[in-house]
Amino acid sequence: MDFKIDFKSIYILAKKELMDNIRNKWVIILTIIFTALTLLASYAGSMYSTGWQDLTATIGTMNLFAQYLISVIALILGYSTIIGEIESGSMNSLLSLPIKRYEVLLGKLLGLGSILAISILIGFGFAGIIIGFNVENVNFSEYFIFILASILMGLIFLSIGILISTTLKRRTSAMGTAIFVWFLFAIIWLFIVTAIIIASNAQLLDVNNQGSTPNVEITLPEVYYISEFCNPLSSYSEFINQNIGAIDSSEYSQYITPPPGYINSNSMLISMIIWFIAPLGLAFWRFEKREI
Amino acid sequence: MLKKIIICPECKSKMTVEGNTGEIKIVTCPSCGTKGQFTFQIEQKTIDKSMSADIIKVKNLVKKYYDLKAVNGVSFSIRQGEIFGFLGPNGAGKTTTIKSILGLIHANSGQITIKDIDIKKDIKKAHRYIGYLPEKVAFYDNLTALQNMYFYAEMKNAPKNQCQKLINDMGLGDVVNKKVGKFSKGMQQRLGMAQALLGDPPILILDEPSGGLDPRGVALIRNKIKEMKDKGSSIFVSSHILGEVQAICDRVGIINKGILVAEDTVDNLRGKLNLKPKLVIELEKVTDDIIKAIKSSEGVENVDVIGVMVHVTCNPRAKSKIILSVEKAGGNILNIQTMDPSLEEVFLKFTEG
Repeated sequence: MDFKIDFKSIYILAKKELMDNIRNKWVIILTIIFTALTLLASYAGSMYSTGWQDLTATIGTMNLFAQYLISVIALILGYSTIIGEIESGSMNSLLSLPIKRYEVLLGKLLGLGSILAISILIGFGFAGIIIGFNVENVNFSEYFIFILASILMGLIFLSIGILISTTLKRRTSAMGTAIFVWFLFAIIWLFIVTAIIIASNAQLLDVNNQGSTPNVEITLPEVYYISEFCNPLSSYSEFINQNIGAIDSSEYSQYITPPPGYINSNSMLISMIIWFIAPLGLAFWRFEKREI
Repeated sequence: MLKKIIICPECKSKMTVEGNTGEIKIVTCPSCGTKGQFTFQIEQKTIDKSMSADIIKVKNLVKKYYDLKAVNGVSFSIRQGEIFGFLGPNGAGKTTTIKSILGLIHANSGQITIKDIDIKKDIKKAHRYIGYLPEKVAFYDNLTALQNMYFYAEMKNAPKNQCQKLINDMGLGDVVNKKVGKFSKGMQQRLGMAQALLGDPPILILDEPSGGLDPRGVALIRNKIKEMKDKGSSIFVSSHILGEVQAICDRVGIINKGILVAEDTVDNLRGKLNLKPKLVIELEKVTDDIIKAIKSSEGVENVDVIGVMVHVTCNPRAKSKIILSVEKAGGNILNIQTMDPSLEEVFLKFTEG
């Protein structure tokens, strides 16, 4: 097969996707929630302080919200993009045009990815500007890394959504699968990881044996660190941890022994890139085989 | 300067001739000395020889869904500039065939070429020549009729100013800026036809073009089909409305249970089936004697009476004898018409059982 890419067709389709989906009410609602939560996290982010927090502290609080919200927006945009058009019938007309199937997917990825990026930029950007006005010595470079990583995380879930959309036979089952995927990575995964830690008998050592003084050291099992590669949200969270210092608000985080050498910013970035490319590659393959 | 290798008709030895297109050269064989002339064919003729007059060719198409053969060895072709009607009962394999031609579904075996392009090799190039109206028309609901048309025009590289004109032609001028999500089925069908016509494609594939349309819409689409034929397009129409097909199609193909059972002009199909024309006699009054006289005439196969109209299925040569027998029996004939067997009868004959 000839794999020449026609950028003009991809651009035209991406523009259409942007126009068609920018008014998606769920995306608008979630973007508003996003902005509100970021502002709230900055203003009331810590139990021990009042008033505006700086951006680094805001990122610490927003890390979890971003994981939940961005993945939901991306899955909403992705899950119906192919199966929705197949069920409505518009895919018949689209694929009778001079465009190859992989160009259709690239066009959709570009269009929907742009909506996602706009949504993230509005959500975090607007809040960032307000925080910038209210807080002195703001570290904008860390905030910029956080926004870029969040966009990449969104693209990962968009790519997973597109894979679901090219694979499932009905829109409703695609929606069910997207919900399951979100629950698996965002909620169930925490239980799985906790179970792994308990099952592996993680060591809690009282280093100085000083009675009530919390002078302990927690050693997490190897499998915990490996699991960070298996969930794109864990890779994203760890990437943020690695790049934006001291944001883990957990009471015991300071007692956890340092992670092994392979847990670093680069390995987490590579993990995220693989999580983006692999579902997309599978989606290309599925869509080429698909009967419309 | 062209160079050709020719073979001497006497001694079969090869020789090279040089000349320009259209030039006639006197050639002498270097081996046996035989003289002859060689014409360098003009370029157009060379192209015509290599190009086929069949614009769509379907050869031994097979599409299976598990054990069921939805299309079983279908072969047919659509010629340059003709309107080809594709008929068949529900579930006969019409849409499967159309979707295979467009590459929307993957055939198990067989070959499909569009303007001599094998769709398996370059479907994108083949699609440049096609305007397609699907059976289930759908657009992007959040976009207006004009925005949808602009999108398709850009994708087809068709002039943008054609969008408004086609929308007006299809009677949608008043709703051009309305979101398509609010359109009725008929309005979407009209917009679908406008979309298919973008860029004046040399091939139009229309799957049930009259679906969901009122009589005015049907007439609009019929006129557009004729207009496109006049412009030289080849048109492939799948339809249930046989009268419609009979009125506009040059040839028809009939598919039944995945097998193409007929492909010809309607007249030739009538001939193949040996279907007799009907003589319709309008009488002032119908009596038993008249009916008895008609039935006893030579060449009469069947007689139906509807009010004062008598429908007689007969051998074409028996007409004058029937009229004479009616008059002898005291019948007062008000009008006589001959009706050829309809496409519906042809269709029913080919798809019965």
